[in-house]
Amino acid sequence: MSETQSIQIGQRETTFLGKLRVTLARRTEGRGVVLLALILGVVSFTQPLVFTAYPVSLGRIALIGLVALGLTAVILMGELDLSVASTLAVSGVVMALIPDVRLGIIVALGAGLVIGVINAFFVAVVGINSFIATLGMLFALRGLAYILSDEAPVRLTNTDAGIAFGMPLLGPITPRVLIFILAFFALQIFVTRVKAGREFFAVGGNRQAAYDAGIPVKRRIFTGFIISGFVASLAGVINTLERTAADPRAGLTVLLASFAAAIIGGNYLKGGRGSIVGTLIGATALGVLQVALTLSGIQVPVQNIFIGVILLLAVTTDPANLRAVLGSIRSLRQGRAKAQS
Amino acid sequence: MRKSRIGLTSAALVAVAGLTLAGCAAADEEVAATDAADTTEEAAATGETYEVYALLPQGNDQAYGTTYLPPMEAMAAELGINLTITNSEYDGDKQASECEVAVAAMPDGIILWPAIADTIRPCLELANAAGIPIWVTNADVNPEDADLTYGYSGTDSYGQGAASAEIMCEIVDGADVGIIQINGVTGNSVATLRGNGFSETIAANCPNVTILAEQPGDWVPDKSQIAASEMLTAVGIENVQGMYAADDSMIKGGIDALKARGLDPADFFITSIGGTFLGNPLVVSGELDGTIFQSSSWDGENAVVGIFRAMTGETSQGRDDEGSVLYMPNPKVTAANASDPEVAPEW
Repeated sequence: MSETQSIQIGQRETTFLGKLRVTLARRTEGRGVVLLALILGVVSFTQPLVFTAYPVSLGRIALIGLVALGLTAVILMGELDLSVASTLAVSGVVMALIPDVRLGIIVALGAGLVIGVINAFFVAVVGINSFIATLGMLFALRGLAYILSDEAPVRLTNTDAGIAFGMPLLGPITPRVLIFILAFFALQIFVTRVKAGREFFAVGGNRQAAYDAGIPVKRRIFTGFIISGFVASLAGVINTLERTAADPRAGLTVLLASFAAAIIGGNYLKGGRGSIVGTLIGATALGVLQVALTLSGIQVPVQNIFIGVILLLAVTTDPANLRAVLGSIRSLRQGRAKAQS
Repeated sequence: MRKSRIGLTSAALVAVAGLTLAGCAAADEEVAATDAADTTEEAAATGETYEVYALLPQGNDQAYGTTYLPPMEAMAAELGINLTITNSEYDGDKQASECEVAVAAMPDGIILWPAIADTIRPCLELANAAGIPIWVTNADVNPEDADLTYGYSGTDSYGQGAASAEIMCEIVDGADVGIIQINGVTGNSVATLRGNGFSETIAANCPNVTILAEQPGDWVPDKSQIAASEMLTAVGIENVQGMYAADDSMIKGGIDALKARGLDPADFFITSIGGTFLGNPLVVSGELDGTIFQSSSWDGENAVVGIFRAMTGETSQGRDDEGSVLYMPNPKVTAANASDPEVAPEW
């Protein structure tokens, strides 16, 4: 019998503080939590209505967050899906064109799945960079939405059903918020408890190593894009029901907001690091900020400056980036010191 | 984040300063403006203040919005109204969300410029349920939703398109001509109404004018130039004798497309809508045969006057009351009157 030897790298932390430090070091949501705390602190002084009118704030978080959750599945693997906003638009139009609401929902969600498969095919099978493949789909799907809708908003046949859908089910919980919460838990369980979901991190962290470890990388890429397409189409269905009409131009501001939410939440665009919880934190920070800015009546250009600054803060305070910057400064100083001596 | 807080405070201070410093430009000949003066006196007498949300699809990011806002804010200050202004950038979902925020704030009234008229009904229902009056500005809601509002002030978008077509019919003078049409943002209600007003009036009044092709220019000169250039290629430049665009900035793009091909715009029949700093000089130079004047200051002021009337009970819900619909006068601007002060550009 051969003996197995284990090699321990680094010292194992046994104290509570040590364990806490290790846990925090592993998590990527730290910056998102700090930003969220800062935003909540400032907003509680400047616009406390954000908290008293919490159903509205919840609705805004769900509006940004749902698409961002689906997008996170792709980002964790180091891929991008720029077609989510167009998927949202085309799904909404498809749904509104079908008089039977239930059938419309099924077909629209099916369309989201198909779009996810097509995106994944181009990325995993054809080998096109996901930025380019989904950029092409962004334009193609937007065009399709215009053609299907005859370049005009499509009203639901049953507008009363749509208005009823927008009403709260329990307290502040509207169907949109409920679906968002369910989607969050489903994806959180998938990427933390299910083997296929956990493999997303391996695919994003080191693709070659993932291949070598026997992980079905292509299948995981298909899974990620299907999740992203499905969730985007789900958002399209919800928007169409709540607005009682499908707009072929829908989702114009969703794409960037979704990416911003994922990035603020600590998701690493190159893949391998991040979490669904982080995206929730990012969406919450962004949603609360947007509601506060809307209540303040601050014009869009100024709002964009706020969001841009927060995004930059989230990216530049990444420990890896900070280490790289400090390293550069150190080597620059050393170089100068050598030159002087 | 300290910077953010300072920024928030600064922005609020700038907004307050803007409200305080903005000037007033009342149009004496307008009945609405006269009424506004009356209501101003009443407001001054009572000293009451009102909280109003203005849900707009544009602001300082577009030329019209930039000149729409100061008169609006000035009139609001005069009537004792504290305005909170939002800009949805023509995103229906974003405006719907802003509407929810506005209703949650429980203001005394809401001014609504619909981004997409077809998606606005839930917002109207929400405000009605909360007992908040809504006044529609610039672009009206769908006819079936009108009873959920307290009134409308703004352009007769269909009438503007029709008036531009009337100029076209007049200058063509019975000749058989082919024209190309540049529209606004697809799905936008103003774009749709202007387009329909133009094409239906052409069909009814001068069937000798044939619309050979139409494309959206999205209210942007650059995109309109590309759209016009593509249409000229598609239908054949030899078949085109005229051009219509749903606003002056887009006709500028269309005219540039003609110039890029070495053609003289003065040889073409060209009409537009706007009466703007871009359009009127083109009319004077002879490159544009006619445009339709639109006053952004009238639009902004009367949005505030309208909601004031709704909040003070002068107009009730629906469109039955006198003064619940205020159409902006839209005089035609041609070479004969392009330099007159009555049609002096505002934006």
